[in-house]
Amino acid sequence: MNQATRWRLAMRLLARDWRAGELRILGAAIIIAVAASTAIGFFTDRLGRGMVNQSADFLGADLVLESPRPVALAWLDEARQTGLVTSEALKFSSVVVAGERLQLAGVRAVTDGFPLRGRLRTAAGPFQTDAEDSGIPASGEAWAAPRLLTRLGLNRGDTLSVGEQELVIRKVLTFEPGQAGSPFGVAPRLLMNLADVSATGVVQPGSRLTYQYLFAGTERDIARYRDWLKSRLGPSHRLVGVQEGRRAVGTALERAERFLGLAIMAAIVLAGVAIAMAARRYSERHFDMSAMLRCLGASQRDLLALYLAQLLVLGLLASAVGCLLGWLAQLGLLALLAELLPMAPSATSAWPVLAGLLTGLVVLAGFALPPVLRLKRVPPLRVLRRELSPLPGNAWLVYGSAIAAVVLLMWRYTDSAKLTLAVLAGGAAAGAVLGLLGFILLALGRRLHGRVGVSWRFGLNNLWRRRHTSVSQILAFGLALMAMAVIALVRSDLLATWQSQLPVDVPNHFAINILPDQVEAVHGFMAARKVPTTQIYPMVRGRLVTINDAPVRQAVTKEAQSDNALNRELNLTWTTELQEDNRIISGRWWRVGDSGRPLVSVESKLAERLGIEVDDYLGFTVGDEAFSARVASIRTVQWDSFRPNFYMVFPPGVIEHFAATYMTSFHLPPGDKPMLMELVRHYPAITVLEMDLILAQVERIFRQVTLVVEYVLLFVLLAGFAVLFAALQASLDERLYEGALLRALGASRRQLRSGHLAEFITLGALAGLVAAIGTECLAWVLYSQVLHFDYQFKWPVWIAAPLLGAVLIGAAGYRGTRPVVERSPVLLLRER
Amino acid sequence: MVAASGLGKRVDTAAGPLDILADIDLQIHTGEAVAVVGVSGSGKSTLLGLLAGLDLPSSGDVWLANHHMNVLDEDGRAQVRGQLVGFVFQSFQLLPGLTALENVMLPLELAAAPGPRAQAMQLLERVGLAGRLTHYPKQLSGGEQQRVAIARAFSMRPAILFADEPTGNLDSSTGETVIELLFELNREQHATLVLVTHDEALAARCERHIRLEAGRTVPASAAP
Repeated sequence: MNQATRWRLAMRLLARDWRAGELRILGAAIIIAVAASTAIGFFTDRLGRGMVNQSADFLGADLVLESPRPVALAWLDEARQTGLVTSEALKFSSVVVAGERLQLAGVRAVTDGFPLRGRLRTAAGPFQTDAEDSGIPASGEAWAAPRLLTRLGLNRGDTLSVGEQELVIRKVLTFEPGQAGSPFGVAPRLLMNLADVSATGVVQPGSRLTYQYLFAGTERDIARYRDWLKSRLGPSHRLVGVQEGRRAVGTALERAERFLGLAIMAAIVLAGVAIAMAARRYSERHFDMSAMLRCLGASQRDLLALYLAQLLVLGLLASAVGCLLGWLAQLGLLALLAELLPMAPSATSAWPVLAGLLTGLVVLAGFALPPVLRLKRVPPLRVLRRELSPLPGNAWLVYGSAIAAVVLLMWRYTDSAKLTLAVLAGGAAAGAVLGLLGFILLALGRRLHGRVGVSWRFGLNNLWRRRHTSVSQILAFGLALMAMAVIALVRSDLLATWQSQLPVDVPNHFAINILPDQVEAVHGFMAARKVPTTQIYPMVRGRLVTINDAPVRQAVTKEAQSDNALNRELNLTWTTELQEDNRIISGRWWRVGDSGRPLVSVESKLAERLGIEVDDYLGFTVGDEAFSARVASIRTVQWDSFRPNFYMVFPPGVIEHFAATYMTSFHLPPGDKPMLMELVRHYPAITVLEMDLILAQVERIFRQVTLVVEYVLLFVLLAGFAVLFAALQASLDERLYEGALLRALGASRRQLRSGHLAEFITLGALAGLVAAIGTECLAWVLYSQVLHFDYQFKWPVWIAAPLLGAVLIGAAGYRGTRPVVERSPVLLLRER
Repeated sequence: MVAASGLGKRVDTAAGPLDILADIDLQIHTGEAVAVVGVSGSGKSTLLGLLAGLDLPSSGDVWLANHHMNVLDEDGRAQVRGQLVGFVFQSFQLLPGLTALENVMLPLELAAAPGPRAQAMQLLERVGLAGRLTHYPKQLSGGEQQRVAIARAFSMRPAILFADEPTGNLDSSTGETVIELLFELNREQHATLVLVTHDEALAARCERHIRLEAGRTVPASAAP
């Protein structure tokens, strides 16, 4: 057979099989696998490209220098001499007041020229169409984010005050470059003119401020200036270039891809199972044709080429459709996350499409190739003796190729052999356990056999007779339902726990930036209003720079190098009394006489991450001054107690000479919020963090993220349906024949249909039961080991999961077995 | 054209080895029409499978137009089949995914013969199915399907035609028409015909009979 003949024949056979409905399940399973993987592919590709294209726009400059204090003017002169354009800004958090309302805002005060790259976007009113804006707020004016206006009940033209300065809202701020690093930023934004800052009274020694210096220029000039600047930077300075900006978002994106990718792998593996089932049936239905072709002189090579060509074309076509659906699914994903995304997605590249096509082909090769390879070994004598079939495929080949395909695809998401193997082993173990569970339940169900009516007996019989495929379906749906149930449970419990874990009088507000000379007055202010506060702690901003005299980045493990604690200033404090909820786990707390000795107590989780032990020497810098202290103790801290807590605690007399601000926390019932207004009016430098509002924001983010995970899990459920329909298709001939026989023997259509319904309702309920058991176990581990919640029996899952399974699978199975009663029994029996 | 010497086929069964065929010696000459007759289970189809190179003997040798079939590998035998052999089966064995025309074109295409479409159309016209070219096997009656199968068998102008109970699935009058066609085409193309049947009337139309009983040949008369 020549090449052209093979192709022609292959395409003719493919078209015919497609029209006859032989390839629908195979095609659908490929489509699901590809759509699932490309949805994630498009999503991360578009965001990734958005990040690369827009990082300068997002940063607002080509290079940004951040410092807690103003930098030497010479540095800026040098930038200008190098040929760079510069602009300055000041970032701080402040409680903004309007009438009787107040709201913590992220304020940025800017000068002309801001931003140097990208544009601000503003709108005339909240939730109106926005446009690029080339100006900045004039003196006496402010631009506010829609959320800030809503919270304060303000409109354009109204007045608000930042500290002691009143500002008129001129525009609604919809996008502000330089906020890319904090997509989950909690406080709504306010933009004002730098000239107004001094009048606010917010800037005081020790205030938490970030001075920003923006630079823009050619790549060469930027690099030159960067080199010049690098050697002059102190530990409290932070230099953010386009790359660093990218890295922060990039890491988040990579994690998202990795996590969603693993969820997607479950869908791909299930789709693979459906593909294997469908391919097996395809192969068996082509034995006769293969024998005839051999009889007519086709060589094994001819047969192989004929079938591979069909598989290839089917794979490519189905993958293309999958890519299209993946594109649509990705739009949904972006819509769900729209509020949280730090950047607008870019147009996609060809990569996700290419990866999608490859995914389709790899899944097809891994799961469909072994049964199709069998076709070339069909003995030609089958034309005379129909009972002759090729030997079943080698089990090593069948499972080996499937596992190879899964490993190959998983590698793409995990990017690590170790993680791939771990996930694979974990998945296999979970599959084995759930499968065994399904099998046991199936066997128990069979026990009911003698006690139920004829339809149920018929249904239960069918399940048991095809127990291998039954178990695979129970597993497929059990897995999908379990994953969804766990996510739903964790979400609702986490939210409920957050709310209920805040006993009535736990502090729900933090006041920070209290100036030293205000400590007594604030104390008095609170006492006069009968608001109990926790102890007032001093805070000194400093950086951890060395561990045992080695620069901190060299002293810690690779993973710890990106630890947030190393990349920002820490709040250092001193106290004599150990906090109530802190516990010393090694070393000792201060004794009398430790005052003034260079000792430090370190929070245990940070110590663990950075490998810090008792008696290590830690070097710090505060401002331009460096000092070191010996680790005297490691402390556990209960962060969720909502009391002021610190990574580093010193004895009195070690850091007292540095400029400090003070913080405290207190409980305020919702009705007493107006008191905050008074506090802020009296002490404009103080920043009040309202934990109830912050928690509400965290909740919103959490809801959205879990929604995305559930959205992705829908693919797993879809793949479960592919397995169901593949199994149905595989057993259809047998079912048709039995149905015809039963009807010939006098069974009514109704009896047959109730039998089918009983079969699939049982299958669905068992899958739900497996899901409930799995959920219970997984949730128990998660709650007791990871989340540290009190675990309660999850009885709603035991009702909802079997019910959902019974309804979904009952309906799908009922629909799938319709041909059994629709075709004439006479014809069916004659065909046999 | 077809020769076998000491041909035997033994299979292993639960009750020990079983000889389905033993000590078969035969010679069929070019252009001859030979009927292999015998009751069900006498080994007729097994013999056909061995002679046509669809199966390998446990002992003895088979030659097909000077090709020593039992020393060739499966692909070698397939090549000989493709070049020299035509088949007609009891169950027609048309490919359900192809139209009547495509089924007849298939052997020509497999052998990369020139003008397969024209040749196939001519043959289908010859068997009286010019109006059924684009029908799929399912849309044809049993007799029509067997006529397509005959057209397919003759499409490569085979030197040898093997027919296995060609009328077994047809009613008698349809069977009559089909057999008539088979013999006509066989005469036109001067092919050697090996016909397996348990129908004595059909066998009677052949020049010579090979009678099988329990896997062995028994002396048989020449056709009257």
